[in-house]
Amino acid sequence: MEKRSVTVAAVDVEALERDAAAAVAAASTPEELDEIRIRYLGRRSELKQALRAVRDRETGMTLNAVRERLEAAFDTRETELERDQLAKRDQALDVTLPGTQLRRGRLHPLTQIRREVEDIFLGLGYEIIDSREVETVWHNFDALNQPLTHPSRSHRDTFYVDDDTLLRTHTSTGQIRVMEQRDPPIYIATLGRVYRRDTPSPRSTPNFHQVEALAVDRGITLADLKGTLMHFFRAMFGEGRDVRMRTSFFPFTEPSVEFDVTCFLCAGKGCAFCKHTGWFEMGGAGVVDPAVFERVGYDPEEWSGFAWGLGLDRIAAQRHGIPDIRMFWENDLRVLRQF
Amino acid sequence: MRVPVSWLREYVPIEVPIQEVADRLVISSCEVDGIETVGVADVDGNLGLFRVGRVLDAVKHPNADRLQLCQVDVGEGDPRQIVCGAWNFGAGATVGVALPGAVLPTGLELERRKVRGELSDGMILAEDEVQLGTDHTGIMLLPNGIEPGTPLADVLPLTDTVLQLETSHNRPDLVAVYGIAREVAALFDAGLAPPPGHDPPRDTDEAVDVTIEDFEACPRYIGRLFRGATIGPSPVWLRARLLAAGMRPISNVVDITNYVMLALGNPLHAFDHAKLAGGRIIVRRARPGEKLRTLDGVERELESYDLMIADAERSVALAGIMGGEETEIGEATKDVLLEAANFEPFTIFRTAERLRLRTEGSNRWEKGVDPYLAEQAATLATQLIVELAGASWAGHVDVHAGLPEPPTVRFRPERTDAVLGIETTPDEQHAILHRLGFGVDGDEVSVPSWRARDVTREIDVVEEVARFRLADVPARLPMRQAMFGTLSKPQRVRRRIEDVLVGFGYSEAYTWSLLPRESASAAVELQEPLSSEQAVLRTSLGEGLLASARRNVDAGNDEIALFEQAHVYLPTGEQLPEERWRVGGIAQGGFLFAKGTVEGLYAALGVAPSFSPADDLPVSGRGARTEEGWVVSLRDPDLPGDWGAFELDVDALVDRIPDLIVYEDVITFPPVRQDLAFVVPEEVTAGQLAAAAHEAAGDELRELRAFDVYRGDQVGQGKKSIAFSVTFQSPERTLTDDEAAELRRRIVSRLEQDFGAQLRG
Repeated sequence: MEKRSVTVAAVDVEALERDAAAAVAAASTPEELDEIRIRYLGRRSELKQALRAVRDRETGMTLNAVRERLEAAFDTRETELERDQLAKRDQALDVTLPGTQLRRGRLHPLTQIRREVEDIFLGLGYEIIDSREVETVWHNFDALNQPLTHPSRSHRDTFYVDDDTLLRTHTSTGQIRVMEQRDPPIYIATLGRVYRRDTPSPRSTPNFHQVEALAVDRGITLADLKGTLMHFFRAMFGEGRDVRMRTSFFPFTEPSVEFDVTCFLCAGKGCAFCKHTGWFEMGGAGVVDPAVFERVGYDPEEWSGFAWGLGLDRIAAQRHGIPDIRMFWENDLRVLRQF
Repeated sequence: MRVPVSWLREYVPIEVPIQEVADRLVISSCEVDGIETVGVADVDGNLGLFRVGRVLDAVKHPNADRLQLCQVDVGEGDPRQIVCGAWNFGAGATVGVALPGAVLPTGLELERRKVRGELSDGMILAEDEVQLGTDHTGIMLLPNGIEPGTPLADVLPLTDTVLQLETSHNRPDLVAVYGIAREVAALFDAGLAPPPGHDPPRDTDEAVDVTIEDFEACPRYIGRLFRGATIGPSPVWLRARLLAAGMRPISNVVDITNYVMLALGNPLHAFDHAKLAGGRIIVRRARPGEKLRTLDGVERELESYDLMIADAERSVALAGIMGGEETEIGEATKDVLLEAANFEPFTIFRTAERLRLRTEGSNRWEKGVDPYLAEQAATLATQLIVELAGASWAGHVDVHAGLPEPPTVRFRPERTDAVLGIETTPDEQHAILHRLGFGVDGDEVSVPSWRARDVTREIDVVEEVARFRLADVPARLPMRQAMFGTLSKPQRVRRRIEDVLVGFGYSEAYTWSLLPRESASAAVELQEPLSSEQAVLRTSLGEGLLASARRNVDAGNDEIALFEQAHVYLPTGEQLPEERWRVGGIAQGGFLFAKGTVEGLYAALGVAPSFSPADDLPVSGRGARTEEGWVVSLRDPDLPGDWGAFELDVDALVDRIPDLIVYEDVITFPPVRQDLAFVVPEEVTAGQLAAAAHEAAGDELRELRAFDVYRGDQVGQGKKSIAFSVTFQSPERTLTDDEAAELRRRIVSRLEQDFGAQLRG
């Protein structure tokens, strides 16, 4: 065996392959590489001519193996050179320039809090109930055991369409409608627009939004209400939040309570926002009054339930530090685009 | 309700700090809005700088005609020289003095200073300066004989603390200082003084002529006659209490009625007996056409359901709400008829509501006052009128048709445990009820008269115990058989709509449900809107969005695009309107931007719209209707540039959204794409051409989309060229060139036939 060179069909294949490999490595542009490819693998190249002249199988195999290796080398180099060239295009790219500005809208902060609340309820296994806003006096007051002399029935506090029809003053109306249609157990949340005849001010608007929850089942207690509130507000404001109940009065619950949640700004340490009490007044709640169950045809000895509710606008405003609740209705993009 | 703490402690003498009292009330009884100090601040020895003084000498100020120069003994050995502007006293008077350094209730700190050249080393006090009255016509004169230098706080209620409470509608008993005291006594298991007031001996027994025509509205009327009253200012202790409780002192008899109302919760009224025709009182409904001028000087037109206090001839008071001007107590009044009555809530509520007249009295009656209370109120008032107005008590009558027995309720202590979720022993429950004035006899509980309206059922008794146990209730979750929560399809669709529009660059708006009356011809109207700007319920979201867009233009904002998803309220002719969810949008970028939004939204929901030109849209402008709504080119003088708007009925859209998307093979057989341009008369629309083309070519015309409109010399006057990109595709086979050509031929010939359309070469 000769060591210096291998000559196959009058071609020094080893030298040829070595030269070609060196030329491929030296090529600095795809165009140069193309020229080299023609020189080594073109129709008139030494290799192709030798291949055409091959007569025996062994020579053919040797030459073809060389051709395949060269072709692979060319392909690899070609990919490399193309990559280099693409990379060069970005050499002048200033990556600190701002990106193309895409139009991006925002969900209103009230929708954001609404969805957050809905999702917590879904997680607690509650249905979200859609309900109407123009209601009968029956659904808004009578069915909820509201005394005829309760000030909320006054024309100064409530918008009436006629003597029997009004704009609902709370989302409890949706609960009555569900109880009229279904038998317990019931676990529902109603969210939506409610109306009170308040002159718009930084702290109140005649349209606002409420969420109310209702659970009706066997053996429901005030302790279940407290636990539900605690889970809800921990999901909303973070672990470690606590709930405090205070005696109150609502015609549709007995006992009735107002509930406070650990202040979400100071985490209960006491700050100007919570008037140094550590508590934030959140909403109203209670055990459903048997009179309400009787009005919708449930047996109060068999079923018990709790209901609770709160205003979303006030909480959204206070969470985000919005100083005037009317800003929610002005839709100024300078405000909306912050959310 | 403002409760002066000194007054409260008179009825419940416990030494607990007031903050602790407030903390307990908050959990178990009522809201506490604050604890306020009234009068002279009791800090840093301030109170010690207010002393009793005796005026040793008082002469005209040498340099000022209106001032007196006084030498006042304040118990220091040497008198102090004080300059004073009042002349209602002289040497020998006993007065209140504030020394330099004293801080007045207004926050003013006194200084030793010269007044018109003469040193003034303190201040002789008028009652308004220490919040003991409203009078500033002269200084306050104290009874002689008090040692100079005595702390003024020992002889006058100079300072007090006030609990500001907000009580609930079911607790009329708490709108009284005594009621709060009873509650505090129960909370702390402390002793309670008996209700205030003792009847003095009656001097004569004159008949008092009271008739109740309507016992349903007025279950009880106690009338008491007093002779020889002297009307004048109330003593300082009474004025101080009224002021601290938030009422203005007027004169002794009127102040007494207010004081008794604050103390016990039963509103009273006093008439000038001489002005009552026939000296009679008749409680009756108003007569047709009757009018009454009330104390506030307003002439009230009455309705037949208004309950009136009348004399032999005419109405003299709106029962429970406000007295009449003509029979008001005045300086000349000698004989007083005191009314200690009971009125039913609804009667008072209905009249007060109609007349928009809420008073301290009506607010209490509306909650339902205990009819037994009238007697104690009459007694306390009688004692005070005799003591403070020097009157003699000359007559008494108590008219009623039997008072209701206090209710008894069956009460099972285990019900409390079932409601609260914690155990409370029957003994403990009964003890709580006893403290609250309930009687317990086996499983029967008798309710005290002052709680009789609120506590009528077992659950109401449960709440009484619950109030004391609230802080101990643990936190648990319901034990549920099944647990499942999911959004409904409409709810999911609404979220998707919001998300798609936000992705398109729209920000979400919230606008009022109420609009000006003229904005919609057929709309639900409010009986009493807050303003004419918010008088009817909207039937479209357009107007609110338009206003929001204008506000953004005024604010100089750019790239304005807003949407809202909310209810509209469509009159039905029945009691309730139809409420439908709509989504509306408004955006800069003209009609095509808005239409692109609508098309994109439909595509995202998997629904195909068709657009037909319309000019009867809720927002004026050229536009098109789809199956579920409309889109319009918006031209508004306040919105410079090109704007578009749209509104779609979400409920209708939901019905058309497929529940499930089924795969369609668009890969196996490749599409054939070509562009076709047609020259048509100006009035022919792209939509008409597309519809006809689809009809002519059938399902294998997969898509036909106009991408260019050209007008100019090459197509001629009154004509335009519309270019379409066309896609042919079959789900069953690869279309041959011939088949594609045939489809194309059918389209061309149909458009030529229907619209005279010429294919451009």
